[in-house]
Amino acid sequence: MRCRPSAAIAVIIFAVIAGAANAADQKYATRLTAVAYDGAMRANVQGDGQVSATLDGNKLTVSGRFTALPSSATNAKLYSGAGIGVPGGPILDLQLNGQADGALSGSFTLNSKQLAALRQGHVYVQLNSQKAPEGNLWGWLLPEHPFPGADMPERGHGFLPQVDVPGNWVEK
Amino acid sequence: MRRLAWIAISTTAVLAALWSASLAQSTSAPFTDAQARAGRTAYAANCASCHQANLAGAGEQPPLAGAAFMSAWGRRTTKELYDDIRAQMPYGRGGSLDAATYQNIIAFILMANGAHAGDKAFDGSEPVRISTIANGQVPADIATPRRAAAGGGDEGGAGGRAPAMALGQTVVGNIKSYSPVSDAMLVHPDPKDWLIYRGNYQAWSHSALKQVNDGSVDQLQLKWSWAMNEGGENATGPTIHDGIMFLANTSNTVQALDARTGELLWENRLGPLAARAYSALRSLAVYEDKVYINATDARLYALDAKTGKVAWKTDIAEPGKGFNETGGLIIAHGKVIVGLTLCRGQMPHCYISAYDARTGKLAWKFTTIAAPGTPGGDTWGNVPDDMRAGGETWIAGTYDPELNITYWGTAQSKPWMQASRRSGTAATLYANSTLALDADSGQLKWYYSHAPGETFDLDEVFERVLIDHGAQKTLMTIGKAGILWKLDRATGKFLDAKQTVFQNVYSGINKKTGQLIFRPDVLAQKTNTWLSACPSAAGGHDWPPTSYDPNNDLMIIPLNQSCNLMLGHDVAQHTGVVQPEGEERLFFMPGTDGNMGRLAAYRTGTMEPVWSFQQRSSFLTGVLSTDGNVAFVGDYDRTFRAVQTTTGKTLWTVRLPTVVQGNPVTYEVDGKQYIAITTGLGGGSPFAKPSSMLGELHHPDHGHAVFVFALPDKLTGKAN
Repeated sequence: MRCRPSAAIAVIIFAVIAGAANAADQKYATRLTAVAYDGAMRANVQGDGQVSATLDGNKLTVSGRFTALPSSATNAKLYSGAGIGVPGGPILDLQLNGQADGALSGSFTLNSKQLAALRQGHVYVQLNSQKAPEGNLWGWLLPEHPFPGADMPERGHGFLPQVDVPGNWVEK
Repeated sequence: MRRLAWIAISTTAVLAALWSASLAQSTSAPFTDAQARAGRTAYAANCASCHQANLAGAGEQPPLAGAAFMSAWGRRTTKELYDDIRAQMPYGRGGSLDAATYQNIIAFILMANGAHAGDKAFDGSEPVRISTIANGQVPADIATPRRAAAGGGDEGGAGGRAPAMALGQTVVGNIKSYSPVSDAMLVHPDPKDWLIYRGNYQAWSHSALKQVNDGSVDQLQLKWSWAMNEGGENATGPTIHDGIMFLANTSNTVQALDARTGELLWENRLGPLAARAYSALRSLAVYEDKVYINATDARLYALDAKTGKVAWKTDIAEPGKGFNETGGLIIAHGKVIVGLTLCRGQMPHCYISAYDARTGKLAWKFTTIAAPGTPGGDTWGNVPDDMRAGGETWIAGTYDPELNITYWGTAQSKPWMQASRRSGTAATLYANSTLALDADSGQLKWYYSHAPGETFDLDEVFERVLIDHGAQKTLMTIGKAGILWKLDRATGKFLDAKQTVFQNVYSGINKKTGQLIFRPDVLAQKTNTWLSACPSAAGGHDWPPTSYDPNNDLMIIPLNQSCNLMLGHDVAQHTGVVQPEGEERLFFMPGTDGNMGRLAAYRTGTMEPVWSFQQRSSFLTGVLSTDGNVAFVGDYDRTFRAVQTTTGKTLWTVRLPTVVQGNPVTYEVDGKQYIAITTGLGGGSPFAKPSSMLGELHHPDHGHAVFVFALPDKLTGKAN
């Protein structure tokens, strides 16, 4: 079977563009909100936060802030589960500054498994505290996407960032 | 030798269990007898309306006594129970009681589970493991309480219970202007009327009226309002004919109002009084000279439309067995067709049934749970017939007059989780299915099982919208998983599916068959183990229905964004009671920035998204669209809003006194277009989840009413 020149050129152009896209920094972000809770846990899992992350090759840099925890923060980690919104186990430790309010950060070289998990949206930030040692706030790192704000409609494709993450929904 | 070892192990286990039970019975609990007695009174006033006087639970309200309670709470502490109840209860009003009342209620709940009072008062801080002081054995006087005398309703208290009022017809009508509603009028409704629950047989909730349009809607004014019954769950939509508004209140009170002025024309309080903040009268129906209501106690009434007097009544299900009606009804080809809800193992199973509209005589029944030995009966694995529960029909069906087929969705099977239900991934027919039934005979024409083996309380029960795409007759529906389905409504063949909100329960779909593929860890589930699900049981989509704008081929969908961890209990294979048997822990959906509410428009021909917007508050009304290129929707945060249909841009908002809940409708009287919407409280997950998660949003816990808006007279040229 012969390959037509135009098709081959198209493949090459696509590969170059895709490669360039991969080479560029990829931005991730999440809002930190309460971990899964019931009424008995509710008072201890309050607070709010924002985290952003940049992936350059396999180098991941994470930074974020949190506020209004009911008790002092004790540690923060990156976790990885079996899907977006599916809790899993810790994979990397973040640095923590502050108590009820503060900042977290970290810089890592991801292995291939961690890299794949990040790209699929399976990696999340979890902040633990004295009164919530098994989780106070969490948020899944998803490709950075704008929020137009309340009452502001988004148009067309792209307003379900979770669905746009590859590998989480297969159509056969 | 092996047998001896087994006997020894078994004996040790039995002795350990007996020792544990005797320890639980003999150990004094950290509360006093006075607290438990006071708690019983407080429980009756604040909790029993949902959880029942015998603490057995009902619907989504979990049991607070017995084995199921101990399964959920035995390993946890008295402090956790106190913190949980104080944070979330009474329903929708967490933290509203004083500390002593909460402490007393906890004392009563512990006593109701076999705990013995001691000398030390409970102050909420004692972290005593509940299984060490209680054994789940409910004292006889609590297990079988005296029934309340008034009204014939469930025994209960204020949390959803209607204030006392006399039942019966309070105002007899003498309406002259009402003209009989014919079959032809139902097939082609006059845009001035709103004759059917969702506007037309196809459930479009769309009106050809356009006096209120995207250029004038910002000048809408309140024309009149009317306070409705308090108590119960108010989530209804008015029915309009000949300038008369027929309105279903809680406590099964039906009113006829002048739709132009709000003047009361007749009222019939059918009762019983609402006893729990759960189960709504979502609609009425009109046909010929009668108004029809399937009351919450599973009784069907036909009222004279001109006077409000009862013309006939019949039982849809045997009274006193816990069956319930909530979804409204549809009139098709001279028959009143109704569903049935709260089917929890009591026999018979749930069914859809039809009655002669003139006489009330039963015409047919279709049972929504397949029994062993019947078609589909093998889809429940080895689950015995009396443990096959669910398959409720929470929402009134739709109707294709040309095919003479009525379409209904069914709820999930119960218990919620596969591991508790012991049915694996079997389809558990006809749960979570679309049913196509011959309107005259009830014969099953076809069914489509949307989610075989569903396991997270993600019903596919909501409205079936009938849309023709060229020559192809399609049925579109969206369930709690947030997947928009398109089927051929003549054959039931799968055509297409689209995610409209994030979900992680399914990892894919076969686009030829529509077969969903579960996330692997969902298939490997075990009881008593937490498992994540997005959306939560509040549903990506729930009962607040969609609207279809035929001018733009847009389906406008109210969506919810929350997730949960769910834990399924071990369920004994006893007979007679099948509860959901699951626990939930809620969290905000990843990627939503903490916004629970989403309104989105999809082009149904291509299934492609057109616009969407998010907000903190959940939407709790259906959507109404009109030829004026406007769509109306209301939310938990008391906002009723109009958006431009084609863009989603907000054009007008108004804050109402409490939660905007129900179904907006539009109609015309004397040349003026009106928009009507109700406020209401109560309900299942769609109301309960934001109550739990959006603590910064406040609303009064009363204020059921209907509000009617129109343009100023100077714009319409018509005086009000």
